[in-house]
Amino acid sequence: MLSIQLENVVRRNAENTERIMRNAIGYVVSNNALGTVVQSTFDNSTSGGITKLISGVLVPTARSAVRDLDSTNDLAFLRIATRKFEYLVAPEKEFTIVVMQ
Amino acid sequence: MSQEVEETLKRIQSHKGVVGTIVVNNEGIPVKSTLDNTTTVQYAGLMSQLSDKARSVVRDLDPSNDLTFLRVRSKKHEIMVAPDKDFILIVIQNPTD
Repeated sequence: MLSIQLENVVRRNAENTERIMRNAIGYVVSNNALGTVVQSTFDNSTSGGITKLISGVLVPTARSAVRDLDSTNDLAFLRIATRKFEYLVAPEKEFTIVVMQ
Repeated sequence: MSQEVEETLKRIQSHKGVVGTIVVNNEGIPVKSTLDNTTTVQYAGLMSQLSDKARSVVRDLDPSNDLTFLRVRSKKHEIMVAPDKDFILIVIQNPTD
């Protein structure tokens, strides 16, 4: 169910996906409900860490901050720039996509 | 605050689409703002918490890495957070303007 949905999203955004992946280091897709890794270009421990900390901790914190400021608003996208690279986070209903570039 | 800081803030504030700028010290207390008191306090508290959390997440994932900038895009606007040693700068912009 989830992977079909995901495939549809990827297909719908094939051009964008390709453009993003040209400059990206890699990506992780996590299942929000289960907190598991669905798809990833990284090894298990990296993917697990990103799923747990970014999709599981930081996204909910950012979302609740946005909603605290305005209850009719919602989080759409999150960019975390670091000294080494940038995490681009797209929080969807069923899954969260994290791209590292 | 020095002249240079004032000028930088003025430059950012004059940017198209910028709704407000807030400077928060490392205790989470707003020291400068172009927004009203209630909004400022709310943004200052939530965004310094969020940038602290983002920093600890980045370091947990890679202890030799560090947070430099945070952008929170919402349906209505975008909040940009630049954390520094003693202060964090928060800029709220309306990208559709």
